[in-house]
Amino acid sequence: MLLYNLRLAWHSLRRYPMLSALIIAGIALGVGVATPAITTLHVLGQDPIPQRSSVLYYVRMDSWDPVAPHPSASGIPSQITYRDMREIMKSRIPVRQTASFPAALYIYPADRNVRPSRETVRLVFSDFFPMFDVPFRYGSGWDKAADAKPEAVVVISHALNARLFGGHDSVGRTIRIADRELRVVGVLAPWRPRIRFYDLLGNATREPESIFMPFNWIEPMEIHSAGTRDGWKAMEGNPTYLESLHASETVFLQMWVELPDPARARAYHDFLDAYVREQKRFGRFQRPLDNRVTPLLDLMAEWQIVGPYFKAIAAISILFLIVASLNLIGLFLGKFLARAPVVGIRRALGASRSAIFLQHLIECELVGLIGGGLGLLMSAGVLAVMNKGFERITHIEDLFQLDAVMVLAAVLLSLAAGAIAGIYPAWRICSLPPAQHLKNQ
Amino acid sequence: MEFGPILRAAIHHRARTILIVAEVALTLAIVTNCLSLIRNLKSFLTHESGFDDDNMLSVVSEPFDVAFKEDAYQIASIDDDVRRLGAMAGVSAASTTNFLPWAGSGNSGEVKIVGGPDTRFRSQQYVADPHLFDTLGVHVIRGRTFTPQEYESSASPNNTAFSTVVTKALADRIFPGEEALGKRLENPDHTQVYTIVGIIDKFYNPFEPIDEHACFFPGRSNSYLVRAEPGKAELLVPRIERALLRANDGRNVRVRTLREVRSDYDYSYQLAVIPLNLVMILLIVVTALGIVGITSFSVAERRRQIGTRRALGATREAILRHFLLENWLVTTAGALLGLGLAVALNVGLVTLVAGAKIEWPVLAAGVALLWTVGLLATLGPALRASRVPPAIATRNV
Amino acid sequence: MKMEGVTKIYRTGLVETRALRNFSLEVEEGEFVTITGPSGSGKTTFLNVAGLLDAFDEGKYWLDGLDVSRLTDREMSRIRNEKIGFIFQSFNLIPDLDVFDNVDVPLRYRRLAAKERRERIERAVAQVGLTSRLRHLPSQLSGGQQQRVAIARVLAGDPKLILADEPTGNLDSGMAREIMDLLEEINRAGATLVMVTHNPEYAARAHRRLHIADGRLVDLERITPLPLNRRTGEARQAAAPAG
Repeated sequence: MLLYNLRLAWHSLRRYPMLSALIIAGIALGVGVATPAITTLHVLGQDPIPQRSSVLYYVRMDSWDPVAPHPSASGIPSQITYRDMREIMKSRIPVRQTASFPAALYIYPADRNVRPSRETVRLVFSDFFPMFDVPFRYGSGWDKAADAKPEAVVVISHALNARLFGGHDSVGRTIRIADRELRVVGVLAPWRPRIRFYDLLGNATREPESIFMPFNWIEPMEIHSAGTRDGWKAMEGNPTYLESLHASETVFLQMWVELPDPARARAYHDFLDAYVREQKRFGRFQRPLDNRVTPLLDLMAEWQIVGPYFKAIAAISILFLIVASLNLIGLFLGKFLARAPVVGIRRALGASRSAIFLQHLIECELVGLIGGGLGLLMSAGVLAVMNKGFERITHIEDLFQLDAVMVLAAVLLSLAAGAIAGIYPAWRICSLPPAQHLKNQ
Repeated sequence: MEFGPILRAAIHHRARTILIVAEVALTLAIVTNCLSLIRNLKSFLTHESGFDDDNMLSVVSEPFDVAFKEDAYQIASIDDDVRRLGAMAGVSAASTTNFLPWAGSGNSGEVKIVGGPDTRFRSQQYVADPHLFDTLGVHVIRGRTFTPQEYESSASPNNTAFSTVVTKALADRIFPGEEALGKRLENPDHTQVYTIVGIIDKFYNPFEPIDEHACFFPGRSNSYLVRAEPGKAELLVPRIERALLRANDGRNVRVRTLREVRSDYDYSYQLAVIPLNLVMILLIVVTALGIVGITSFSVAERRRQIGTRRALGATREAILRHFLLENWLVTTAGALLGLGLAVALNVGLVTLVAGAKIEWPVLAAGVALLWTVGLLATLGPALRASRVPPAIATRNV
Repeated sequence: MKMEGVTKIYRTGLVETRALRNFSLEVEEGEFVTITGPSGSGKTTFLNVAGLLDAFDEGKYWLDGLDVSRLTDREMSRIRNEKIGFIFQSFNLIPDLDVFDNVDVPLRYRRLAAKERRERIERAVAQVGLTSRLRHLPSQLSGGQQQRVAIARVLAGDPKLILADEPTGNLDSGMAREIMDLLEEINRAGATLVMVTHNPEYAARAHRRLHIADGRLVDLERITPLPLNRRTGEARQAAAPAG
């Protein structure tokens, strides 16, 4: 019966080619607008590291000014201080943990004729690589011993390896960063998460840094953060960088911990609370106790990583599809009612109301799917244009891509559009009294 | 005069009427909200900086030579740079400052009134040399810029008293209704005191939260603002880079025109404006086509009736007027419903996008737009209706 | 088929029109009944009600022993599909479908296997002598041929009751005779035939002739033909046969 109905629908489409083209164009337009809009939400909002997101927690503490809350929406600083990081890193509760911050350092090529280049650097602990599932092409991260010392080791990005070493296995070679020679222990495979989940501050679609080096180089190399620094209390006199690191209330570190289950997360939260209560005795943390251990995905939601305008545009695009479908109600209605005599014959010959309803709804859904197919092609075009647009900001060539989920979404959207456009006309035509439209004379 | 029969006909053809009303209502709701969002975004784009954006360049020096670790070397290099930049042909002013307009980021900090209550005033805070306001093309409306002595003494490590230039907006916030000039501010730790020596007028730098509150302190930075003679900014880009590298090769130098910086800044907003515009236009087209479709069916269905009217003496104009009036009534009903929907949708969107509250002019514009679209969409089918020959009334089916 | 006091009212606004008034009738299996009457007298309404195309307002109607007033749309559709065959004056073929597909329509709603449908269609079309036109569209056929397709559509469905509404009204007399022969043949094969006609010659070929005037049924003849004029002016209402 489905095949029969599809054949009838096909007949009917070919019978009024202009009308059919108009309806199909309407649905194609609707799907072609709504699918890319949903794709942007899907791509930006999807779990960037699904295999690990449930165990990764971001640590925040309200170490801010006793007089006024932090001006951000959450009311607490987005990062932590160096001195607090040193203390809470002593906890054994997390399975893995890392503080990190971005910096900008010069690397000096062996060839004196090539100008030094400024590279993006991230200082991390060895746990960073397994915690965030960082993929390696050659070698690996460093070990805990290298963290502590710190050893003169470095992990470089695929692109930097290509630039410096022509893409060959450079493990064991050295590069000069600022005033040190560091040995390459790992080269990353190409790694371009769409959301840079380990650093969600600022533009979260930036690409990962070119260089990862042991965190503890911060002191001997006096490395300053090139990211967001936030402070409320100036220090007396003119302290050196090292002095200020250990005594300052400036927050600039992002702290991540891996906690395998909620019980551990609670235990860690208790640990933080205990630490802050102790600090309060020394006159720090004068604000009400407010420590947060936030799962990655919750943090993404809280910081609105998917920009509100994306959501607004997606909402409007879906409404657009609905209006486009509403428009088709009129066209289908006219088309179906013009066919009332034929429906009368079918009813006389034994078609039940539901059979007629089904026949016409299937016609609408067929139109919906054809329109949806065209809309999908259109979506691909729209996404290509959008990728060009976003490339300037994100430097990702193909930020948005139609994947299976999106194809499925387009199919569902077109079926929904077909249903919105078709249910009322199909119901109208099937509930016409059969006798009235039979040509009796 | 024809309202009665038209209304009754509209009620009789319920489905058709409801459809057009629903379409018009939803379209109005969406279009006005799109317009409102676009206006909101445009307000970011068209906000005046108060600076001579078109003729300025930003210059960033990124030293890698270890010699720069010495403060004295660094200071000497900066002073040399400013001198060289100021002397270049085509440059009308140059200044060292860590303030870069339209960079989308900046510095902020808090001050309080010396001896006043413990109220903190957070604002943007930048360092600059005395020439910054000349370079920006900003008018110092009261007081003065920093003196060379104030500027020189700022580098001394033991200095705790500074002068500051604040924006009018910040002055009005800290000292409402009072003369701010000569008043003293301090940092929250009471370790530094700032005397207000000058007030500048318009200032806007997109850095959250977006406001015009800023203060400037005397000081040096590794970045510079350069104001070119009109039309020469582009030409200066490679020349500045060459000149600074010739002066000191132990660094990289990045030079960009402010116009380019601003276009990058505006770009992210345009990314949102373009799809909104596109959806809005498509929506209007689709709705217009929908009205054409429904009205065409309605005309086709009523050909005989129209012929009868014509036979009974109705002029073509009367038929035309009848259909236009009918559509206008239905569109208006849709628009009224749409106003409600627009506000409802807006409430939803405002919770999503802060500050995009819909305004009456936008709603009025939306209604006017839909009236026009409705009228134009009806015109074709209505003209066709007016051309139905009276003879059709007597013809048998 | 048995009707008792069936009344059908059309309402338009405030005006009520009684299209059928207290209509009672019994047609036995295998019978050939013709119905005559002036236009607007309710013949078509009677056929619509009899064919379950139209609901009625009062009275009772049994079809093949089944009280149809309580049936759902699906059940009525099924009866129309399996037990009733319609033949219309204007043929009512589906213009987009060719002969084969037109005959196929009722079989589709019966959910028969493809093979059986094909066999039935080919047999029915052969029976009306149109095998060579199987893939023609209705517009490519003459009026008589179209009506024969409509008859083939009935034949393929093998109904117990055939309702024919002036099947020869649009045809010239030669073709009309052919159609009548076909219908009589089907009737002889066992199907009950109820036919509305204007043509007294064809009406006379029936076992029984009924006349409708102003929504009321007038029994002209019962089983044995009687001279028409005997009853003139004496129209009486047919008494419902008891039991």
